Amino acid sequence: MKKRLYLELENCIGCRSCLAACTQCGGHEERNRNYVYDVNPLVNRQTMPLMCLHCVNPACARSCPAQAIQIHETGAVLSALVEKCIGCQNCTIACPYGIPKFDTEQNLMYKCDLCIDRSKDGIPPMCASVCPTNTLQWLTDEEIEAKQKQFNLDNGKWVTSMPYLEGETNVKVNLPGILQGVTKLF
Amino acid sequence: MQANTSTTKKTESSVNDAFASHFAKSMFLSIVGLLILTFIGTRMFTHVDLNLYGYMVGTIVFIGGFFYRFIAWGERPPTKLFIKKGLKLLFRKSTPKTAVNHLAIFDFIRNRGVYRWVQHILIGWGCVLACLVTFPLVFSWMYFTMEDNGYYTIVLFGMNIMNVKADGIIAWLSYNALNIAAIMVTAGVCMALYRRLKNMQARAEQKFIYDFLPLYLLLFISITGLLLTVQNVFLHGWMQPQMSLIHQFSVIVTLIYLPFGKLAHIPFRPVSVFARNYREHYGEQHMKECKVCGDQFVSVEQSNDVIQVLGVNEIDFNMNDGFNLAELCLPCRRKYRIAKFSGFATHQVKVKEANQNANG
Ligand code: HEM
Ligand code: SF4
Ligand code: SF4
Repeated sequence: MKKRLYLELENCIGCRSCLAACTQCGGHEERNRNYVYDVNPLVNRQTMPLMCLHCVNPACARSCPAQAIQIHETGAVLSALVEKCIGCQNCTIACPYGIPKFDTEQNLMYKCDLCIDRSKDGIPPMCASVCPTNTLQWLTDEEIEAKQKQFNLDNGKWVTSMPYLEGETNVKVNLPGILQGVTKLF
Repeated sequence: MQANTSTTKKTESSVNDAFASHFAKSMFLSIVGLLILTFIGTRMFTHVDLNLYGYMVGTIVFIGGFFYRFIAWGERPPTKLFIKKGLKLLFRKSTPKTAVNHLAIFDFIRNRGVYRWVQHILIGWGCVLACLVTFPLVFSWMYFTMEDNGYYTIVLFGMNIMNVKADGIIAWLSYNALNIAAIMVTAGVCMALYRRLKNMQARAEQKFIYDFLPLYLLLFISITGLLLTVQNVFLHGWMQPQMSLIHQFSVIVTLIYLPFGKLAHIPFRPVSVFARNYREHYGEQHMKECKVCGDQFVSVEQSNDVIQVLGVNEIDFNMNDGFNLAELCLPCRRKYRIAKFSGFATHQVKVKEANQNANG
């Protein structure tokens, strides 16, 4: 059963377990590839994770002169192939969400690959495995559809999926509670 | 002026029309080039070593695959752009230094790990050494003649380069160059295989055709090559013709595979020098200021180029807020997305992003 990474942004408590877990994935060279942001840092403690959404038509790969960014058959947009990346940084400028990281010393871009050696076999990526608040989940399409029905927003504020994203993505994002004025029970 | 350019365009395209495609033209030109070099090198085809005939066919098939792959590559909009601007910027003062760093001593691989660096020096330079010896011999651009006085003469492109003593050090090095190369490559490939066995980091993303095949091919070439010497020295040439065929076969398969798999990085890597020149040159000229925080984060040229390249792919990130996403620095771009999610303008809050590295 094909599963996807699914983000329920408002659950995030800012523990940064996902960043720590990311460093431990095989092939990640002990560096994390995801982000956690304070939404309104001077006022409250709400945080949200941000990671590669694995675009169906990825700008990073389209802009890469070396074809270093490959798209896996699962839809995951992989990190730069170490022998191909020529260090031009086009991908960092192209990505609409500012995701790819660049190491100047190593002349190499690295980005989220959905822990491809895990997710290709149906094992959730490291971040989703450790998230204590179910912000990051690993779900089937049916489960995601059920989630969206459960949080049906009629107020035009469903801002975390198309057409509000810059393109169709393989990672599905949801932000159910805050915009509805509903408090969630986990 | 206008008329002028259009006529040159016309003549250009009519020359191109003579060939079915770029592919046919490049193929034709390089085979003619090879023939001319060989003609000169062999003193009008008088010194051809027919034992090496297989390599010749292999090389020509390789050139076909090479152009097939790389013309398609060069036609991609971002690649085309880098090659065009890279050629224009080729004569920067820093080019020789960048080229040596990127293409000869691989500084940046050392920063990825000394083990990976040693491994690549052994494989890369071993292969280069082997090619420098083999191909001139195959096309008879270089050969040896033996005088009666115990000296060899090395002949390169029909010119006598030097006389060396048959039992001297230079002669020894030239007979054994291929053995030395083979030992280097074998050691390097073993390091690469060992790394895959022992190091979980290297285990991800490995596919047989992409990841292991090139290593096994290189290993196969090196070992059969070394066996040839062993047969020669210790076994009085026993089974040598057969092994020679196997060895030739392994080289030809590798050559044919080269443009398509992992080894395709070899002919393409010089573009990394272009990319460095591009970043340095346009970075000195005019930097782009982030539309939100004002930080200079990339050259204006590159920002525009990326927007244009994405445009060709029908990707367009112009926002209603009056900017293109490629005009925001990376932290602002990420905060802008958070802002889009939450409805609160996170990117407008003048607070530096919190540490985003798990290691503190
Ligand atoms: C033009 C000069 C070259 C450059 C700039 C270059 C660059 C690179 C880079 C950056 C890597 C990735 C290394 C890593 O991160 O561990 C690599 C891998 C590799 N290169 Fe090269 N390379 C060059 C020439 C060659 C040559 C001549 C060969 C010989 C066949 C070669 C064979 C390999 C192999 C087999 C790997 C894979 C190693 C592995 O799988 O662990 N390279 N190269
Ligand atoms: S979110 Fe950015 S890095 Fe991820 S696939 Fe899309 S363009 Fe590439
Ligand atoms: S930095 Fe590397 S991966 Fe990114 S576009 Fe340039 S060559 Fe491709």
